Amino acid sequence: MFYTPSSELPTHLILRNQLRQVFFPSLGIHLPRPPQLFPSSPSSEASSKWLDAHYDPMANIHTFSACLELADLHGDGEYKLVVGDLGPGGQQPRLKVLKGPTVLSESPLPALPAAAATFLMEQHEPRTPALALASGPCVYVYKNLRPYFKFSLPQLPPNPLEQDLWHQAKEDRIDPLTLKEMLEGIREKAEVPLSAQSLRFLQLEPSEMEAFVNQHKSKSIRRQTVITTMTTLKKNLADEDAVSCLVLGTENKELLVLDPEAFTVLAKMSLPSVPVFLEVSGQFDVEFRLAAACRNGNIYILRRDSKRPRYCIELSAQPVGLVRVHKVLVVGSNRDSLHGFTHKGKRLWTVQMPAAILTMNLLEQRSRGLQAVMAGLANGEVRIHRDKALLSVVRTPDAVTSLCFGRYGREDHTLIVTTRGGGLIIKILKRTAVFVEGGGEAGPPPAQAMKLNMPRKTRLYVDQTLREREAGTASSRPASALCAPPQPCTGPSRQTSTCCASGPPVPTRRPSSPA
Amino acid sequence: MAEQRLVTRTQFPASAESLKPRLKKAPEFPILEKQNWLIHLHYIRKDYEACKDVIKEQLQETQGLCEYAIYVQALIFRLEGNIQESLELFQTCAVLSPQSADNLKQVARSLFLLGKHKAATEVYNEAAKLNQKDWEICHNLGVCYIYLKQLDKAQDQLHNALHLNRHDLTYIMLGKIHLLEGDLDKAIEIYKKAVEFSPENTELLTTLGLLYLQLGIYQKAFEHLGNALTYDPTNYKAILAAGSMMQTHGDFDVALTKYRVVACAVPESPPLWNNIGMCFFGKKKYVAAISCLKRANYLAPFDWKILYNLGLVHLTMQQYASAFHFLSAAINFQPKMGELYMLLAVALTNLEDTENARRAYTEAVRLDNEKDL
Repeated sequence: MFYTPSSELPTHLILRNQLRQVFFPSLGIHLPRPPQLFPSSPSSEASSKWLDAHYDPMANIHTFSACLELADLHGDGEYKLVVGDLGPGGQQPRLKVLKGPTVLSESPLPALPAAAATFLMEQHEPRTPALALASGPCVYVYKNLRPYFKFSLPQLPPNPLEQDLWHQAKEDRIDPLTLKEMLEGIREKAEVPLSAQSLRFLQLEPSEMEAFVNQHKSKSIRRQTVITTMTTLKKNLADEDAVSCLVLGTENKELLVLDPEAFTVLAKMSLPSVPVFLEVSGQFDVEFRLAAACRNGNIYILRRDSKRPRYCIELSAQPVGLVRVHKVLVVGSNRDSLHGFTHKGKRLWTVQMPAAILTMNLLEQRSRGLQAVMAGLANGEVRIHRDKALLSVVRTPDAVTSLCFGRYGREDHTLIVTTRGGGLIIKILKRTAVFVEGGGEAGPPPAQAMKLNMPRKTRLYVDQTLREREAGTASSRPASALCAPPQPCTGPSRQTSTCCASGPPVPTRRPSSPA
Repeated sequence: MAEQRLVTRTQFPASAESLKPRLKKAPEFPILEKQNWLIHLHYIRKDYEACKDVIKEQLQETQGLCEYAIYVQALIFRLEGNIQESLELFQTCAVLSPQSADNLKQVARSLFLLGKHKAATEVYNEAAKLNQKDWEICHNLGVCYIYLKQLDKAQDQLHNALHLNRHDLTYIMLGKIHLLEGDLDKAIEIYKKAVEFSPENTELLTTLGLLYLQLGIYQKAFEHLGNALTYDPTNYKAILAAGSMMQTHGDFDVALTKYRVVACAVPESPPLWNNIGMCFFGKKKYVAAISCLKRANYLAPFDWKILYNLGLVHLTMQQYASAFHFLSAAINFQPKMGELYMLLAVALTNLEDTENARRAYTEAVRLDNEKDL
């Protein structure tokens, strides 16, 4: 009997049908199988530090590590997983909240979520964290999973010359062609870029210009930017349940720090390039350090009260992830390597990865005071590193697109992984597991133990060599007799070699081994 | 229905910030940079298909005005090898925002990749006017000058780049210039500084080790090659070099274990099989040696060293006709080497061709004398 996999099935039913879909996706064959585990090698099962809690290749979750958060949203001690799901192909963005293996609630989002963060907004009871989702130019704040507040980025100041020109157009004091010329002049030189309206106008054909101006001349010039990344920064206390500010990175190469209660901009800092990943430490009121990995391949480090970056790390590759482990900044580069830097920008160590790094996140085991970096690779591995040492490798069947580690449900140490095909994997770290260095590969590379792939010689070959030994002189003599009379030494060598080649079969001439 | 319930849940109270009506996303003018972050994330994760889809969508929506989408599209074209189209797109970006030195740098790089080095230097100079202190511009200018064979200007630019910001690449390029000029000592100086600056870079360590090997300073060569191997045990060049040094000292077994590692990674390398063959020769396993050397010869029929070795092994195996065959082939490729003629002479003697043997010996002596002189 054939069942076709159906994405309309509620998730818990799909879970029960833990298909071998991952192996026979096209056939749609349903093979009954006990729920859960995907095959792992028998030798690693016993010594594995991880319990497989859940695996659903049809979870249909497409997201980045920045949009995954673990928090106790309802204040009932059971931590939930918040996922800003971009949907397959970037369509249908949804906010999903998961509890255990099931999806608790799903709501559509107005635009693709760039980042999600949970933070405590105020001191008074109930002390449940609020959820902030950055998407487009706005931050949507949810309390108890209900929409609470929407913060929009302040508009950017428009170019005064441009404003003036459009004002003139509104009063019909200027014709479209002159307007176009003047706008182009501004674009060449100005510091403040033109608005979308002017840029669109500059692209038009002359025939369309008149209509466009009439349609849009009464609108005021606006410039709006979008949020690219978001993180939280404790406001004045370092406790776990202290109030936090939101730190936003914008497309306008700026960093904004927002007050959690009034949502006013507390501080603004500027960067030479657009920030992609942010890492903060410290408290806003006391002293904080901010590291921003930017699109130009550099990482800038800012401190409190500095409007511009203090230190700069030049990576000469694109940063794929940024994680702060104790005092070391670990950066993944798209040249498949992990680097550790001090907070002043000095490189401490480099580790090469066997495949492209797709995502990175922090692993914190509070009970043992352990902090490590998790890197999700394109070959389906999650490598856990503390400094240069590899602590553990977790293997998954598909490329890892996002990672999260923390308290989930009532389990303290849970690893949540989403894969490229939309799958969701939940693993729990055993209570007895201790990470020791050298948990990965060590010692001489395994290739050293493999025997060399030597070409074999046949019996025929050995016979031919014996024949040559015995009759060597005789076999070569007739050939050399055919050669021309004495010439300089290089000459006869050339000639005799060709003659000999056409002489009696020399067994050693054939290429013996296929490459 | 669940859907309606979900929809109503997304009604937000208006924020305090926007007192004006919500026109920031007017229907005709979507924010140009709306999905730049998504394009960037897909690009750095090497998810080029998804990236291209988002780019296409954005370009359609903004009608070609989203500069970053065009920029990343051009970068992807370059990665796919489509340099001409990449150049055109970068030029579009440069038109869209003329103040950006970055776009000019990319245009120059595309020209460089197309082989138009002169044009590339001009565009780099223009970019330098916009941004004086950019080490990348100086570095790339230096590389262009290398290709234009203006080595002095190249050196100046690369030294400027080093003053602005030290990078391994710049050191490597400077080293290459010195090697092109034939100045081994200066090259070693540069590589030493580079290794001080970044002691974990296996390429630098290996190159430095090989240079010391060329000069015959074996101790330091081995030290640097050993360092390179500790950081990367599968480094092909370092293993070959270290293995050959071990072979000269007679450590054939250790050399063989090292070669096993590389044989898995790079199975089709003629010098590797040549060295493995000579390891077996040293261990007196002549048939194995011949097999390996034959494979090396198959992979590289024009390499005189392999032919020389084949000749030598066949002489040892008393297969004089085959030896003669290989040695004469080797001489065709390397006519000025005395040892080759000497071995040829030995082969001919054993083939009882005394006349040609004597001639071969004379030639060998003559070439040797010339070399000593």
